Amino acid sequence: MAAPVDYEAFRAEVRDFAMSRCPPEIRAVVATYRKLSRKIWYPWQKILFEHGWGAPGWPKQYGGTGWDLKQRHIFDEVMAECDCPPQYHHGLRHLGPVIIEFGSEEQKQRFLPGILNGTDWWCQGYSEPGAGSDLASLRTTARREGDEYVVEGQKTWTSHAQESDWMYTLVRTSKEAKKQQGISLLLIPLNSPGITIRPIRTIDGWHHVNEVFLDQVRVPVANRVGEEGQGWTYGKFLLERERLGGANVAPAMKNLERTRALIERELASPAQAPKRASLEERLLLAEAELRGAQALGQEAVAATMEGRPLGLLPSVLKLGTSVTAQHVSEIALDAVGERLAPRFRPTSANAEAPGIEWVQNYLYGRVRTIYGGSSEVQKNVIAKQLFGS
Amino acid sequence: MSFTPTPIVGGDAFEQACAIGLEADRELALSADPAATLRKYWDEIVAQGWLEAEGELADLAALAGGAGRGGLPLPVALSCGVIPFLLGRRRDLLEHRIALILPEAAVDDPADALRLEGGRLTGAVVGIETPPDPTHVLVVLDDALLFAPVDGVTRYQRIDAKPAADFRFNGTPVEVLESGITARAEQARDLGALLTCIEAVSAAGAVIEQTIAYLLNRVQFGVPLATHQALRHRVAEMYVEYENLRGLAAQALRHGSEEWRDIAFAKLRLGEAGRFIAQAAIQCHGGMGMTEDVAAIRLARRIMMAEFEYGDRSFQMRRLLDAHRAAA
Ligand SMILES: Cc1cc2nc3c(=O)[nH]c(=O)nc-3n(C[C@H](O)[C@H](O)[C@H](O)COP(=O)(O)OP(=O)(O)OC[C@H]3O[C@@H](n4cnc5c(N)ncnc54)[C@H](O)[C@@H]3O)c2cc1C
Repeated sequence: MAAPVDYEAFRAEVRDFAMSRCPPEIRAVVATYRKLSRKIWYPWQKILFEHGWGAPGWPKQYGGTGWDLKQRHIFDEVMAECDCPPQYHHGLRHLGPVIIEFGSEEQKQRFLPGILNGTDWWCQGYSEPGAGSDLASLRTTARREGDEYVVEGQKTWTSHAQESDWMYTLVRTSKEAKKQQGISLLLIPLNSPGITIRPIRTIDGWHHVNEVFLDQVRVPVANRVGEEGQGWTYGKFLLERERLGGANVAPAMKNLERTRALIERELASPAQAPKRASLEERLLLAEAELRGAQALGQEAVAATMEGRPLGLLPSVLKLGTSVTAQHVSEIALDAVGERLAPRFRPTSANAEAPGIEWVQNYLYGRVRTIYGGSSEVQKNVIAKQLFGS
Repeated sequence: MSFTPTPIVGGDAFEQACAIGLEADRELALSADPAATLRKYWDEIVAQGWLEAEGELADLAALAGGAGRGGLPLPVALSCGVIPFLLGRRRDLLEHRIALILPEAAVDDPADALRLEGGRLTGAVVGIETPPDPTHVLVVLDDALLFAPVDGVTRYQRIDAKPAADFRFNGTPVEVLESGITARAEQARDLGALLTCIEAVSAAGAVIEQTIAYLLNRVQFGVPLATHQALRHRVAEMYVEYENLRGLAAQALRHGSEEWRDIAFAKLRLGEAGRFIAQAAIQCHGGMGMTEDVAAIRLARRIMMAEFEYGDRSFQMRRLLDAHRAAA
C-alpha cells in the first residue's frame, strides 16, 4: 500500500510550481483570452516535462506522474486558477493512452517521448465532409499495398493541422463489414507527399481548423495502431478516457471570474449601473449552474476512484457545462459588444481593438455545443438511458 | 429499465416519509374534508416522532426527501427542522402546532405590518405555511424570538396542498423566548432553504420518472410519445437540470447549514431548474398536464411553491451579490 496522499500539500506544491515556473508572458496570453498555439503551449510543456510532470495522466513507466485521479483533478484545477495553459490534449490525452494500451513496443518507443516532451505535435483526423455526428460513416480509404497503405480521401475540421507534425487518422480498410467495423487507426506524418492542408475561415476570425486532403498518401503498415479493422474500438477507448474531461469545471469558473471583473471595469460609470446589475444577476445564475457542475464533477472523480460506474454523469457534465460556458461568454459579449463588435477586423494600418478577444471567444465558444458529441447527440444518449431504449 | 432517481439520503426514514406522503396525497385528492385529512396525517407524523429528529441533518434530509417524493402535503422542513432549531431548549413548546413568521413574511398592507407595542403584537401577515389548525406562532421581530397564541386566523391550502394561513394580531400578548435572535434566525432560514431544496430535488426526480412512464404509455400517431425525439430531448434537459440541482443540494448538505453560500446557490438554482422541470412536465403531459388528477403534476406544483419558501430567487441573488460586492 502506498502512503495516503496529502491532497492539500499537493495542491500547494502545484500552485507554487505554477506561479513560479509558468512564464508571465504565457500566463498573460491565457488571462487575456488570446488564441493558444504551439508557440505558447510548447515552452510550457517543456517546463512541465523537465519537472517530471509532462504527462499527469500516464503511468510512470512511460514517463507519466503516476498520480491518482484526484491529484490529476487538483492539477487541472490549480493550472486553471493560475492562468496556466491547459496542456495540449491531442497527444497527451487522446493518442498517448491509446498507444500505451494498444500500440506495439516500437510505437511506444517511437511516439511517446515526442508527445511527452512536446517535440511532436499531433492533430486528429476523424471528421469528414460526410461524417460528422455519424462518424462511423467515414469514407477515407486505406488500400494495402505490400508494407504500405495508400490513403485516399478528405478530412475536415482538423484543429491545429497547420502547426502539427502528425495526424492520427481513422480510415476505412474494408467496406464489407458493418460500418463500425473495417475502420483502422493510422498515424500519418503531415509532410507526406500527397497531403494538402487548407485553412477554414471560421466565424471567430482565428485560424483553428483545416481541411486535409489525402491524395494517394503512402503510409507504412507499421504506423497502424493495433489491429486492422479495430479502429472504432480504439476511438471509443479514447472517448472513454476523455469522459471525465467535463469534470474539470475550473477553467469555466476562472472565465466566470474574469467576466465578473470585466463587467466591473467596463460598466463602472453610474449611467451603466442598471446594465451592470442585470449582467451581474445573469452571471450569478451561471455561477450557480457551474457550482452544480463542479459538485457533479467531484462526484464523478470520487465514483471513478472507488470503481463505481459513472452512468450518465459525463454526458450531463458535457451538455450542462458547454451551455453554461456559452452563457458566460454571452454575458461578456453583452458587456463589451457595443464597443468592440464593430471593430472586429482592423482594415487600416493603425487600427487595433484591445479586448477584441472577448468577441472572438464568444464566437469561438459556439463550438462547445457542436464538437465532442453535440448537445443533440448527448441528449440522445441521455434519453436512451432514461427511457430504457 | 427506465429511470428511477437515487435519494440524496435514503433509508428507512426516507421510505416511511415517502409512503405516508403517497397515502396522504392520494387520500387528500379524494377527501371531502381536506382539513380533517391533513390533521390525521399530521397526528401520524407527530406520533412517529418526526418532530424529534433532534437536529440531525441527515435524518431531516431523509424525511424531507421522502416527503418530496411522496408529495406529502405537510410542512416537514418547517415543523421537523426549522422550528425545533429555533426553539432550542424550549422543545416543550413542540406539543403545540406552531407556524413561523420571519421578518420578510408577506403582507397585504405594508402599513399594517407586524409590530410590537408595549410587549403586545399587532398587525397582519399573509400566506404563512402552517401545520394543520395552527395553535401558536413563532415570530422573529425586532431581533427577538416571540411566542404567541394564534389570534385571528384565515386558513388556506397552497398550490401544493400544504396548509397555510393569514394571521392577524390585535394587541396579542407575547412571550419573549430569546433576544438577539437575528443571526440564528438566518441560520434557521438557511436550514429551511436546504431542506426545501432536498424535498424539491426528490419531487423533481419523481416528476421525471413519472413523466417518462407517461410518455412510454401514451400513444399518438400509432406510436408511444416516447419515440419522438422532441419529447425525449425535453426529458433529457429536465434530467440535466435535475442532476445539476441535485449536485448542489447534496454538496450543501455535506457542508452543513453554516455554509450559507452553498445553500443560497442551491436555492437560486431551485428557482431556475425547478420551474423548468415543472413546466416541462406539464407540457409533456399535454392536456393531462393541466389537471390536478396527475400525481406528477401535483408534484410539479410542489416544486413551483418551493421557490417561494425561505428566500426566493431575487432574495438569494441579492445576498450573494452583496457578498460579492463586499469582497470586491
Ligand atoms: C472548431 C471545430 C474544431 C473541430 N476539431 C476537430 C478535430 O480536431 N478533429 C476532428 O476530427 N473533428 C473536429 N471537429 C468536428 C466536430 O467533431 C464535428 O463538427 C461534430 O462531430 C459535428 O459534426 P458535423 O459538424 O458534421 O455536424 P452534423 O453531424 O451534420 O450535425 C448538424 C446538426 O444536426 C444535429 N444532429 C446530428 N445528428 C443528430 C441526431 N441523430 N439527432 C438530432 N440532432 C442531430 C447536430 O447536433 C447539429 O446540431 C471540429 C469542429 C469544429 C467546429
